[in-house]
Amino acid sequence: MATSLELQVENPSGLHARPAAAFVRTACTFQSDIRVANLTTGSEPVTAKSIIGVLGLGVQRGHRIRLLVDGSDEGSAAEALRALVEAGLGEAELEPGSARPA
Amino acid sequence: MELAGVGAAPGIAVGPVWRYASSAAGRGRPSLDIRVAAELAAAELMALAGRVRASGRADDAAILEAQSLMALDPLLLDAIEARAKSIPSPGGRPMATGDRADALASIVEAVAGSTADTLAALPDETLAARAADVRDVGARIARIVTGRVVALPDQPAIAVADDLPPSVAAEIPDGQLLGVALERGSATSHAAILARGLGIPAVVGVRGLLAASASNIEATTVALDGDAGRVIFAPSSDELAALESERRDREAAGAKARSLRGQPGRTADGHAIELLANIGRVEDADRALEAGAEGVGLFRTEFLFVGRSGAPTEDEQATAYRKVFAAFGERPVVVRLLDVGGDKPLPYLRLAAESNPFLGIRGVRLAGEHRPILLTQLRAIARAGAGLASVPRVMAPMVATLEDVDRFRSMVDEAFADLDRSGIERAAHFELGIMIEVPSAAMMAAELARRVDFFSIGSNDLTQYVLAMDRTHPELAAAADALHPAVLRAIRMTIDGARAGGIEVAVCGELAGDRIGSLVLAGLGIAELSMDAGRLDAVRFELQQRSFAELEQLAAAALAAGSAQEVRALVRPAR
Repeated sequence: MATSLELQVENPSGLHARPAAAFVRTACTFQSDIRVANLTTGSEPVTAKSIIGVLGLGVQRGHRIRLLVDGSDEGSAAEALRALVEAGLGEAELEPGSARPA
Repeated sequence: MELAGVGAAPGIAVGPVWRYASSAAGRGRPSLDIRVAAELAAAELMALAGRVRASGRADDAAILEAQSLMALDPLLLDAIEARAKSIPSPGGRPMATGDRADALASIVEAVAGSTADTLAALPDETLAARAADVRDVGARIARIVTGRVVALPDQPAIAVADDLPPSVAAEIPDGQLLGVALERGSATSHAAILARGLGIPAVVGVRGLLAASASNIEATTVALDGDAGRVIFAPSSDELAALESERRDREAAGAKARSLRGQPGRTADGHAIELLANIGRVEDADRALEAGAEGVGLFRTEFLFVGRSGAPTEDEQATAYRKVFAAFGERPVVVRLLDVGGDKPLPYLRLAAESNPFLGIRGVRLAGEHRPILLTQLRAIARAGAGLASVPRVMAPMVATLEDVDRFRSMVDEAFADLDRSGIERAAHFELGIMIEVPSAAMMAAELARRVDFFSIGSNDLTQYVLAMDRTHPELAAAADALHPAVLRAIRMTIDGARAGGIEVAVCGELAGDRIGSLVLAGLGIAELSMDAGRLDAVRFELQQRSFAELEQLAAAALAAGSAQEVRALVRPAR
């Protein structure tokens, strides 16, 4: 029984560099097989434990992603990744380019 | 021999050449197990990240941390292992260790290279930098496999390279890097950002640099001018003398600008121009005070709201605002209401999708459906303002109509009434202001001025809306110049309206911190300029070089100009 969930990525820089690293680091703490696809671009799913694969999804702000989690700890893995994405993937501040300075 | 490039970090440096190439190397003990080599590379990168983070460069540290994940990336390692199976064993005998290491290393670099190419080919420009990061990780693993090490400079030196990856730059001990000259790279590349952070000059995009370096291999000295974008191999004594006198001139100008800290902003003949700082976090307050800010002209509050799953509580906000008010004491602090919208959404705000977010629900327009979040913020500001030496100044962004101001006022009244009902102490009143960043607000300035206590011109958005050009658009960004006479005329209108209503006008966009922009604005009659704290020294200095009458003449000529280029040409280069 795999767990599937869809999320919208809302942090300013999408799944780039730092947010992608946070996502992959969290995925790597679970035993389950975790796959992620970019629904907005219709990409093929990749393993969520590969930062190169996740970067290659080209997830930008506003894109929707689907997670497929399969394994012994799939419930907690899905919950942890959902919480991380909804909390903005560790981007505590607006990126310089996206903030309306004035 | 002199080459031209793009000046990416200011300053002048002269020193020995340190040539860096990713394959450069002395021999050590090879490591034939790819998994072990990858683990080692990841560990090295994490250690570097820790060191870089400790020295305060969090952005560089984040890149190194992402690279440590790349070193252990399953896609990369699986592809390398699959290819490594095909390393031949000549005549059934095992290859010599060194040859086997070389073969494995070239597979690592080939796989990393093709992976990087795939990333770089995606239609997302920011991935090009990540592609370079992957190549750099491949080079590091390959070095470990073959046991080679990068020879770091053994004395303070100037790096001459195709590109200088952050992971290599981070290994150079503090103080050993005097400057950076790169064949590739741009002003926004990591090496350029690093150089600015270290306060050393950088010249990037120098075509022919590596060829020149190779043909001047006996040249042991190189000179860089990061302001003018010049690289000189084996400079003559005349060239060195000229650079040295230039360096002294600039240093004197910089020191003179710094020496004015603590003095209020004014022209040569004593006309006061208040110099304020823009801040975006509580911690920015200290930096602003140190730079001699006379107050805060724009306190952006978005930092409290982003990167979380729910809105901050009233208590949490009040604590943050109180800290900033306390830091500035009697000096004014202008708090801007939460400025978000469809173009920079908050997940918990649940804004409807819009086909044109820049013309949609943003700023004070949230006062409709999302009134509660703004009311909470206003209550928090009022609580933080209780018993304060100064009256809190609060301003609303994105005001386009008189009704927007009425809604803003009614929210403030409601927030005050809420607190009074609960018997909570609050500021007796606010000074209410609005951002002027929409053309309609500039046109209605006289009417708006009768309804509020101050204006603050957001020159960045005003420019975008007046010219209908996105400042981040790759083809339009250069033309979306806030010094365009159309923008200056909108500012003129705003000032005239404010005068009719008897209120003050500040400018808090990037134009206020621009060398030419600050002079033109002062000449137009703006008495408060609010900018990044790092710009205060330079603007304070420039204003003191000119009389107010000179600035008024400059402003009149700027208003009459036909283009932003003509406006910029009105001001002589510094010194």
